Amino acid sequence: MSPMTTLILPARIDSLPRGLALVVECATAAGFPPQRVMEIELAVEEALANICLYAYPNSNGEVEVRCTQDETRHLLIELIDSGIPFDMLARPAPDFTVDATERPIGGLGIPLIRALMDNATYQREGARNILRLTVLLPL
Amino acid sequence: MELHTQDIANVRLIHIAGRIDLTTAQSFQDLLLPQLSNCTGETKKALLDLSRVHYMSSAGFRVLVLAARQCRQQQGEIVLAALQPDLQEVFRIVHFDVLFKVFATVGTALEHLSPMAAALYGGAA
Repeated sequence: MSPMTTLILPARIDSLPRGLALVVECATAAGFPPQRVMEIELAVEEALANICLYAYPNSNGEVEVRCTQDETRHLLIELIDSGIPFDMLARPAPDFTVDATERPIGGLGIPLIRALMDNATYQREGARNILRLTVLLPL
Repeated sequence: MELHTQDIANVRLIHIAGRIDLTTAQSFQDLLLPQLSNCTGETKKALLDLSRVHYMSSAGFRVLVLAARQCRQQQGEIVLAALQPDLQEVFRIVHFDVLFKVFATVGTALEHLSPMAAALYGGAA
């Protein structure tokens, strides 16, 4: 069996602590060491923040945080919203060859997600955006 | 998050503690940037002690870029010290180990910034 935990929250910045608490709880229960739990939390914060800031430009909406521990030694974290089609992973990474004080501020969230997660994918399914973050469980 | 400062000779040592995420980054910015207003040339150099920061997301990195930009505009120097091992990889991913000089300890950072401050700090320790 694959235990799944899920939480539906208003897609607002003040929901972040509750969403992140769920992810930390699941990652800890799955047996990740504290540093990896922090990295998972960080990647999810970046993704959730993007959804809260950009998925619903003209309305209020919700975001679902879903954690599943599957049989293939992965922790799967899905962030699901019904906002405008929005593939945050398609955003270009900042140009790291330009000094950070010279280039536009921001854009660091996506490189963090890509580097810290073992896999990150985006899918538009019907009217929903589904961002899937996968992390390999410790041996 | 909490921030408190200590002036040692021509160095402003800024101790930062706690979690810097999207919900605390604005407080971090409001507390940090005013502390850098006189960070110019040899007059005052800034040293951020991160030994008590265990979590920093891109919202916090944004504030550090603002701090670096402000110091650069003022021809001031700002360096970091005592980064937690857990955060070193995160700093590397966003290339902040290139943007900032990062020292292993507050003491070694002070030696780089100001021999006078390092001597006073060593004497007090």
